[in-house]
Amino acid sequence: MQDMLYHFSQWLSSTWISPFALNLNDTAVSQWLDTHFWAIPIMQVIHILALGTGFGAVLMIDLRVFNLAGTDRTFAETERRYVRWIWWSLLVLLITGVGMTVAEPPRELINPIFWIKIPTVIFAVLVSLWFHNRVMRQLAAGGTAGPGIKLGAVFVVLLWIFIMFCGRWIAYAPT
Amino acid sequence: MNPASTSIWDKIEGSSLGTTIAESTWMFPTLESIHVIALVTVLGTVFIVDLRMLGWTSNKFALTKVAKDTLPWTWGAFVLAAITGSLLWVSKAHDYMNNPWFIRKMVAMALAGLNMMYFHFITWRTVEHWDKDATMPAAVKVAAALSIVFWLCVTFFGRAIGFTLGVFGS
Repeated sequence: MQDMLYHFSQWLSSTWISPFALNLNDTAVSQWLDTHFWAIPIMQVIHILALGTGFGAVLMIDLRVFNLAGTDRTFAETERRYVRWIWWSLLVLLITGVGMTVAEPPRELINPIFWIKIPTVIFAVLVSLWFHNRVMRQLAAGGTAGPGIKLGAVFVVLLWIFIMFCGRWIAYAPT
Repeated sequence: MNPASTSIWDKIEGSSLGTTIAESTWMFPTLESIHVIALVTVLGTVFIVDLRMLGWTSNKFALTKVAKDTLPWTWGAFVLAAITGSLLWVSKAHDYMNNPWFIRKMVAMALAGLNMMYFHFITWRTVEHWDKDATMPAAVKVAAALSIVFWLCVTFFGRAIGFTLGVFGS
């Protein structure tokens, strides 16, 4: 595993990403973010708060699917309450994520865990869109949650957990 | 460091548990990851209740029900965060105890706890009178606003520790 990640980061350094990261590192905005001590921690705090609102909303929708929470509401009401929080959280996560990448381009872009995390985020967004459109519409219309829907709900939470693991491990990637 | 001036924190750090975590390549990051996932769950579920108390979301629904839906997850995640946090602390007890941001984080958590206890034992007594109100009494709104502020501080101070650990004292 360690070796695989190491070779992955070696390979990343040999691609166009490496000069791109170094050029980005030289830009004024990157320099500003990197030389202002609190810029990165503040972006991380906002990133974590957005994770809280987004993951909390995902959790409540999933618990509604399993009838473990929100049983005084219809699926449509649960959806109306929480879904937009997920998308707004994702927007904040994207903005702060881009900010943190611009602040430290080589640390993020020449990082094997970063390149495991980002495709997983895109995959999770696509799975969530599918889940939202196909499943929530059906439930909002009064259908019941079958095993497929329940499995999907668990899968989305596991994806978020995996993504958060990756996020923390970016700091520890073998480079 | 002078071995004669070994403090209680150094002894904890030097324990077999402390050194095992500190010397492992994967334990500290893994505990940190679980800590992040747990605290994100605490934040998310606490804010759901706070926003209801402020009258910003879920206003059609009773506060008691919103709290019942979220609190088991808040507490479960809090226990997980406390366990992983304690293990992280054991591995670098000396540095954490010398870090002002760590102390500030503990104070902010204590304040969040006191705010919650005051709300639970005093304000909550009359809950049946305003449980379903879209606009709740001022005391409820103040408790919710304080809760958000204290948890924001806990998050910020927690992240500040990571950037300053080992900088203060010796």
